[in-house]
Amino acid sequence: MTSETPTSSKPTGLHDLFQRYIQRELLPLLADLRLAIALLLAIALFSISGTVIEQGQTLAFYQANYPEHPALFGFLTWKVILWLGLDHVYRTWWFLALLILFGASLTACTFTRQFPTLKSAQTWKFYQQPRQFEKLALSTELERVSLEALEPLLHQKRYKLFREGNALYARKGIVGRIGPIIVHASMLLILAGAIWGSMTGFFAQEMVPAGQTFQIKNIFDAGPWAAAQIPKDWSVHVNRFWIDYTPEGGINQFYSDLSVLDQDGKEVDRKTIYVNEPLRYKGVTMYQADWAIAGIKVKLNNSPVIALPMGELDTGGKGRLWGTWVPTKPDLSEGVSVIAKDLQGTVLLYDNQGTLINTLREGMSAEVNGIRLTIVEIVGSTGLQIKADPGIPIVYLGFALLMVSVMMSYVSHSQIWALQAGDKLYVGGRTNRAQVAFERELLSVLDALTAEPLSMTSTKP
Amino acid sequence: MDLVSLQGWLDNASFAVLFLTMLVYWGGAAFPGVPYLASLGTAGMAIANLMIAALLSARWIEAGYFPLSNLYESLFFIAWGVTTMHLVAEQMSRSRLVGAFTAPVAMGITAFAALSLPAQMQASEPLVPALKSNWLMMHVSVMLLSYAALMVGAVLAIAFLIVTRGQSVELRGSSVGTGGFRDSRYRLRRTNELGVETPQPALQYLADGTGATTILAAPPQTAQPLPLSPQRLNLADTLDNISYRMIGLGFPLLTIGIIAGAVWANEAWGSYWSWDPKETWALITWLVFAAYLHARITKGWQGRRPAILAASGFLVVWICYLGVNLLGKGLHSYGWFF
Repeated sequence: MTSETPTSSKPTGLHDLFQRYIQRELLPLLADLRLAIALLLAIALFSISGTVIEQGQTLAFYQANYPEHPALFGFLTWKVILWLGLDHVYRTWWFLALLILFGASLTACTFTRQFPTLKSAQTWKFYQQPRQFEKLALSTELERVSLEALEPLLHQKRYKLFREGNALYARKGIVGRIGPIIVHASMLLILAGAIWGSMTGFFAQEMVPAGQTFQIKNIFDAGPWAAAQIPKDWSVHVNRFWIDYTPEGGINQFYSDLSVLDQDGKEVDRKTIYVNEPLRYKGVTMYQADWAIAGIKVKLNNSPVIALPMGELDTGGKGRLWGTWVPTKPDLSEGVSVIAKDLQGTVLLYDNQGTLINTLREGMSAEVNGIRLTIVEIVGSTGLQIKADPGIPIVYLGFALLMVSVMMSYVSHSQIWALQAGDKLYVGGRTNRAQVAFERELLSVLDALTAEPLSMTSTKP
Repeated sequence: MDLVSLQGWLDNASFAVLFLTMLVYWGGAAFPGVPYLASLGTAGMAIANLMIAALLSARWIEAGYFPLSNLYESLFFIAWGVTTMHLVAEQMSRSRLVGAFTAPVAMGITAFAALSLPAQMQASEPLVPALKSNWLMMHVSVMLLSYAALMVGAVLAIAFLIVTRGQSVELRGSSVGTGGFRDSRYRLRRTNELGVETPQPALQYLADGTGATTILAAPPQTAQPLPLSPQRLNLADTLDNISYRMIGLGFPLLTIGIIAGAVWANEAWGSYWSWDPKETWALITWLVFAAYLHARITKGWQGRRPAILAASGFLVVWICYLGVNLLGKGLHSYGWFF
């Protein structure tokens, strides 16, 4: 692969020099398999670091867990982690550079290795000399056997036959030579699609109470060219949000009934989404991701329905609770705390001293400080993950091609040569992957050709 | 019939059958002369395979969904995969040595699932909302089958390393196909053109109990001149090639499994890749075995080194399958001890 072909003309300019440098120095280096293996293992190794060191935590977290004295393994302090970017390995410039180098290596390999290999596999030759068979491990010479007897046997094993006079060439499984080329091409497609998606896509989250309309505002990750993707001329109305519970009280499924509204507030699309079933509209996809309790609707005596927002309480990680406070006196000097833990319709009432005074279900009422408090409804809010990724079609094309080609690459490319020379028939063959299966296949063909078994380990046909 | 008690019987019985099968294979490797041990081993593996299949089917009927919801079920599925892949590898290689290495793996997995997992972790559980999708069957079953194939390929690489310890070897299977040519030690020198035959001992490959072994023998009844005869693969060649083929089978499965997971993730929550630890480790496994496949076609990396990479892949698969769950994070934390 190094510079073997001397060019007669001297380089005439910078451009030529650059071209010579690429062809003679850079390309062979990039196409070197040892570089490819080193890159594969390096990407694996740095990926491991990202699964061992916590990603995307706060500075205080790293300071607490990776102190300077004593440093982990003698060097791994929070300063080292932040300096190397080990707190966000997969987004560091050097990890992305490694991926790009990997892509370059893939491309170089395709052109300098895979295409020539495919070409040489397609431009086969007949063996016209008996000595040509000697270099093949699986070769033999047979007497009193004709080439005509071999042909149907190979045909039966699905070989494609080529005949020229006394010479025969048979092959099968050439897809096994094409597969790896498409594997590399589809890897490049996936990388390209991922880069395109990260430049033009965006990622947002919205927590919307049922019954409200929202526009996508809370964008927390967007590529530099994402502006065109972010919808400005339509909004989404949450008609309803509910949770299905299992008989044991566990969550079975979350549902949000969503309507897409155009600028005039007219409904243009509607769908009930749940986990694993998102809503797609104009390249933007909305996924059911989270939920919360937005508020509660209550009635005091015969008052109109009053909607009160509920806030999430800090439970120190022991489950989720929401609460609000309902005044029971006009001067707000007395009231009850209303606590809910899910949307199953049960709330707990606590007095100002913090003692439980009652448990209520939706639609029920209770006497509190001489006032009849009716729980009308607990209002949930739906947590939506919103995303646009224009790179998806490219990535999916890459996925599809990769799945097909990686299966093609399992196929072994087998070649068999035969030559009738005088009363002797020379038969030899080789394959690139399935040595054991090919040996058995070729020997069974030879066994069938000859009356007596060729070797003592003859395999039954 | 009571499906629950049937399951309880089947899981212990499949462990017992695999344990005996392992002993049979080891006995066969130690005493190659004893007849029927090889077929007894194969029969044991096939019985264990069917018993695990029955166990999983019973759970499928009982729970009403594909039984891959917790660690116990996934362990039995992977044990089923290992026994299946063992039968494939044994059929490919016709070597009874395969079972001596794969049977302990299958036995260990069933022992862990049937004996050391607490009872409440063996019970089948309802699926959490995120897993309620047809993708579950597609993604998880393909992933587990790929792990099984890769594990079998990796233990065969270990077998190859043991068989060839202290030797230098040349590999005979790769995508470029360097293995089809005659070894220089066995190259026949023929000087037909001058009419002089160089007397060379013809190579015949006789079989013994454990596989084909090279011996030099006088040509049998064939007359001079010495005929060209096939150079057969020896035991090390066979083990290496079957290890390569099993990894070659596991690698596409792993690729398809990862892609199925990526597509599912994108359909379910909008991101085909989020560097979740499990996902990352599946990629690491993919990268390690990709490196192995490329190492085989690299000059200067011939011989035992790719097999060492494949053998280390065994550890990587296990970290990917179970080790990551010790971190207990993400969507893939199915029923571990937390």
